[in-house]
Amino acid sequence: MKPAPTLSTAFLRPAGQSLPEPLLALRKQRGTALVDMPLPTRKTENWKYSSKYLKLTDDMAISLPADGKAGSSLAVPGYKVVFLNGVMMPEASEYPDLDGISIQSFGDLSDEEATELADRLDSTLDNKAVQMARLNSARFEDGLLIRLKPDAVLDQPLFIVHEVTASASGSAFPRVFVDAGRNSQITLVEEYISSGSETVMVNTVTEFNVAEGANITSVRLNMEGENVQHIGATGVRQQRSSRFESHCVGFGGPLRRHDLQVRLEGEGAECKLNGVVVTQGKQHYDNHTNIEHVAAHCNSEETYRNIAADQSHAVFNGRIHIHQDAQKSNADMNNKNLLLSNGAEIDTKPELEIYADDVKCAHGATIGQLDEISLFYLVSRGIGRREANVLLTMAFINELVEQIPVEAVRETAQTRLNQFFDQTFEEA
Amino acid sequence: MLSIKNLHASVEGKEILKGINLEIKAGEVHAIMGPNGSGKSTLSQVLAGNEAFEVTSGEVTLNGENLLDLETEERAREGIFLAFQYPVEIPGVSNLQFLRTAVNAMRAHKGEPEMNAAEFMKLAKEVSKQVDLDPAFLKRGVNEGFSGGEKKRNEIMQALLLQPKLAILDETDSGLDIDALQVVSKGVNALRAEDRAILMVTHYQRLLNHIVPDHVHVLAGGKIVKSGGRELALELEERGYGWLGIKDEETADSSAN
Ligand SMILES: Nc1ncnc2c1ncn2[C@@H]1O[C@H](COP(=O)(O)OP(=O)(O)O)[C@@H](O)[C@H]1O
Ligand SMILES: [Mg+2]
Repeated sequence: MKPAPTLSTAFLRPAGQSLPEPLLALRKQRGTALVDMPLPTRKTENWKYSSKYLKLTDDMAISLPADGKAGSSLAVPGYKVVFLNGVMMPEASEYPDLDGISIQSFGDLSDEEATELADRLDSTLDNKAVQMARLNSARFEDGLLIRLKPDAVLDQPLFIVHEVTASASGSAFPRVFVDAGRNSQITLVEEYISSGSETVMVNTVTEFNVAEGANITSVRLNMEGENVQHIGATGVRQQRSSRFESHCVGFGGPLRRHDLQVRLEGEGAECKLNGVVVTQGKQHYDNHTNIEHVAAHCNSEETYRNIAADQSHAVFNGRIHIHQDAQKSNADMNNKNLLLSNGAEIDTKPELEIYADDVKCAHGATIGQLDEISLFYLVSRGIGRREANVLLTMAFINELVEQIPVEAVRETAQTRLNQFFDQTFEEA
Repeated sequence: MLSIKNLHASVEGKEILKGINLEIKAGEVHAIMGPNGSGKSTLSQVLAGNEAFEVTSGEVTLNGENLLDLETEERAREGIFLAFQYPVEIPGVSNLQFLRTAVNAMRAHKGEPEMNAAEFMKLAKEVSKQVDLDPAFLKRGVNEGFSGGEKKRNEIMQALLLQPKLAILDETDSGLDIDALQVVSKGVNALRAEDRAILMVTHYQRLLNHIVPDHVHVLAGGKIVKSGGRELALELEERGYGWLGIKDEETADSSAN
């Protein structure tokens, strides 16, 4: 039998050293644990449909240098933090200067702060389920620590622009850690973009610790190029009566993987997870979500939509785990999929594990094509075929796009969607 | 205006229309009556260009132009309008967006400038009053959760907005209560014009009390088996389809009521 492939040791060579000592130590320890780490294969359950898209070559092992200029293509209004190849760029950033909100680069932390952070990094994620997130912990060069004091409210969204410049092969390991105090509020927008055309990997981890009564909105927009393999994980821990709302919008690529893990640990916590994925050409996109109902009286609501054109491949795996003590849990998961061509593939799998007896749990998944009768109805009114296709495709995701609470993101997404429609639906 | 010659059409290999001949002139109102399953909707859908139905032979021209060569949207732009027997629900597309897109597609075809949202809203509100439909319906998804009667009124509203040359109304009267029937009839009568023809497809003759046709045709077994004037409809109501040698229990029952 062929031995299972392991992560090449090239990926475990020491990286840049400009971090406080406690974080360097943590990174080293995480790296050591990765020796002989098996890479996902077809037989790895949670990579079953996606392992074939993961193509890590040794020349991608090097950290992309953060010496370029951050040429963010996004005209981002208001507060922003720009990462270039996983390293924060203060001069391109615009930090809020508000009481109760601190925004720091990992590199600027005191040893004391860094020790505290090192203790908490990875604590929102189930490392077994998100193997590849461990690589980020072994390799991050920098990171963003956002701390909100109790009752602190950020008055407008904070954009985090994760840009990679792929003028050579390599990888970037952006890291974000959010510590939201009691009753604090923030809207965070993470945008992933790229320039250049060499083969690169973006391996990213974002963690949210949401204290009692805090209200967090996370928007994630993936618009990286055709040369970027993206493996991202988001971990969330929610305490009593907190709310976490997530809006993920992603366009496909050679490999796109996002794991979103939410733990509802305090009574009355609720989360709402929305997702829209659009793939075309030979692109791929894989969303894995996991909601852990640990405490009683929590609500989760999840709505994901995939649209796959051409020969592209979209995957959705939604797990809901209701623990034994999580009585009166309310979980609702819905995944609908639209195939725009016979060559496209969509795999969807809801996974429910329920160990409490007094819960409400609903789930549904469908895969379909544009409805011929609806199409006929529209064109019978003189509407062109292309336009009719666009109307029906937008109808499939409208509700989710409209719910994105940040106008600039809705606009960026719509522009990219229009481009997708131009490429997918021919003029009659 | 519309000329149908020896039209044959089939669906899933089964021949439904078996040689239809029909001439309709501008300004005329024609009624096609016939029992369930006789092919009335098939004829309507074929004229509108539904590709689920295959035209196997025959000819259809609209003002001399070969209709069968045109795509559905081109037929619509040339002035064909079909009010569906079963209007389609399209959640996620607002009625307003749908109607404006349609009206602007027609305007673009005629070389007229687009109507902006505000202009269109004004027009749509006026027309929705004409069919007694609350403007709140404009905000809802196309036909989404509309009652049967509301859907039919929405169809007539579309006809009024799009001002077709030939309006084909497929059982626009079915499923309507007396009041809704009045409203719909009023809308249809408002459509009557010198330069427009109307083809009403109906199972019953009650709509014809409100909209008086110039010609009545009986469709049975995929063929027009009898044509006449207004009186033919009355005769059908009285005697059912049986005297024409056509079996139709439903109509016989209803006329006995
Ligand atoms: N999409 C279809 N697939 C198969 N058979 C159909 C389809 N549409 C209509 N038919 C058949 O064609 C015949 C005529 O139907 P239709 O035109 O709907 O009649 P009408 O409108 O007069 O009641 C019926 O036997 C019906 O079952
Ligand atoms: Mg019918």
